[in-house]
Amino acid sequence: MHTGGDLLVIELGALVLALAVVARLARRIGLPALPLYLLAGLVLGEGSLFEIDASEDFIEVGAEIGVILMLLMLGLEFSTHELITNVRRSTLAGVVDLVLNFTPGFVAGLILGFDPIVAVLLGGVTYISSSGIVAKLVADLDRIGNHETSVILSVLVIEDLAMVLYLPIVSGVLFGGSALNTTLTVAISLAAVIGVLGVAYVLGDRLSAIALSQSSEALLLTLLGGTLLVAGLAGRLNISTAVGAFVVGVALSGDIVSHARGLLLPLRNLFAAVFFVFFGLQVDTSLIPSVAAVAGVIAAASVVAKMITGWIAAGRVGIGAPGRLRAGAALVAHGEFSIVIAELGIGREHDLGALAATYVVILTLVGALLYQFSDALFAAGRQRRHRIRRLGSGGRSGRT
Amino acid sequence: MRKVTETDLPGVGIRFDLQTDAGRCVGVVAHQTGRRDLVVYDERDIDRACESVQLTEDEGHTLGELLGGSPVLEHLDDAVHRLEDLVISWVQIAAESSLAGSTLAEAVLRTRTGAGVVALVSESGSIPIPAGTERLNAGDTAVVVGVPSAVKAATRLLRRPAD
Repeated sequence: MHTGGDLLVIELGALVLALAVVARLARRIGLPALPLYLLAGLVLGEGSLFEIDASEDFIEVGAEIGVILMLLMLGLEFSTHELITNVRRSTLAGVVDLVLNFTPGFVAGLILGFDPIVAVLLGGVTYISSSGIVAKLVADLDRIGNHETSVILSVLVIEDLAMVLYLPIVSGVLFGGSALNTTLTVAISLAAVIGVLGVAYVLGDRLSAIALSQSSEALLLTLLGGTLLVAGLAGRLNISTAVGAFVVGVALSGDIVSHARGLLLPLRNLFAAVFFVFFGLQVDTSLIPSVAAVAGVIAAASVVAKMITGWIAAGRVGIGAPGRLRAGAALVAHGEFSIVIAELGIGREHDLGALAATYVVILTLVGALLYQFSDALFAAGRQRRHRIRRLGSGGRSGRT
Repeated sequence: MRKVTETDLPGVGIRFDLQTDAGRCVGVVAHQTGRRDLVVYDERDIDRACESVQLTEDEGHTLGELLGGSPVLEHLDDAVHRLEDLVISWVQIAAESSLAGSTLAEAVLRTRTGAGVVALVSESGSIPIPAGTERLNAGDTAVVVGVPSAVKAATRLLRRPAD
């Protein structure tokens, strides 16, 4: 007896198993798995050999939950106090980061003849590094103790905070309709975000105490239910579900955080993978060849811009050249946020999906490699400089 | 005590660095989860952790004792502890403090601020529950307990000259 349910389960099983193979492969070759999930999604997309059909709806919902869980976990890492001190301390690095890295995407969008608002989206795609991938790279390579790591983390925190303001504004403009309506939506959503952050700042401890429970089951359900509800409401108000979930994570503090992390991590890993697959599925793969060159050029510009950002930010706190290079290389990887932003604009500009997917895959892979081998690159660069100097002096002594 | 540089690692914890006279740099990363990393920095690239050893909270304490850590050193990474509404703080008594040199009875810290001194830690050893006749010597560390505002007031008195 065949029902739709059986088929769905079979498809899901095969898909998750395929992702498991991808994850193992990624581990073996030392690359982050998330962009490879995206590649898997591209392969499985429309018109491919193994078309996903029965489980499509489920995957779509799973992807939505994936974004919410990724952002909730990200928010859990920070407290409001930490966010505020961080912004005060690293404002300059944050501004340099924004100016240098928003520009490539925004300018490219305008040149490609996109709507100005879609160009702003593309600017967002190139601006934001992937907190998730970078944090994982730092931990995997055992570089938490490195001096430049505090700089990297500070820049990432500021970017995440910038998203909290950016996402409501662009969603408001995209879905607001008339000029008056748009202004109103943006104003309401910004007020809501600031209001919720304010409440979190004042009442965070108390809210966390209420949510805390001895039973891990009850805690998991409370967290998941509460976050989905807040994120959903935020989505309704055009603030974006991602921002809603992030704010919930920031609001929680104290004992609950470590419990919550342990409980949510496996769920996050599963649904984050689903999210990347889903985005890959949505992309019209036939467009990729035509956008690949553009994506490559923007990616190259981003590599340079992020390297300069890291170089400047690390230099300001007195870190040496190799460390400054590592800081820059670490920031190159783009990921979840770039995809979340691109997804907003897919309806407006068909190419944006394929462009963002290609861009993110290129940058995560290049970023992971650069960060891994930046010391070797630095050593090679120094050797070459030495050789050139030696050759130069050799030439002079030959003449005398 | 040697100067220890403290750096925030947002979302991770705090990093402490110590520069040795011999020109090496060692550090400890205190994770929010209680995990500690013992880090040794590269001689040629002082920003790079060439060795990093993960320690549990317990292992960290043991290593601290082996290295001859005084209670002050051990608690440097969380100089302020919160217990519900109470705060315990380790305050080094400054030479400029108007209270430096006076006895606990003369300082009347509890009456003035609401916070009490529950221990005094000095080079020669520590005095738990010190009597009123014990002196607040500059350079020693006073362990102060009270509600946050009281501890803050007491800390100010122990660190700054009277204004």
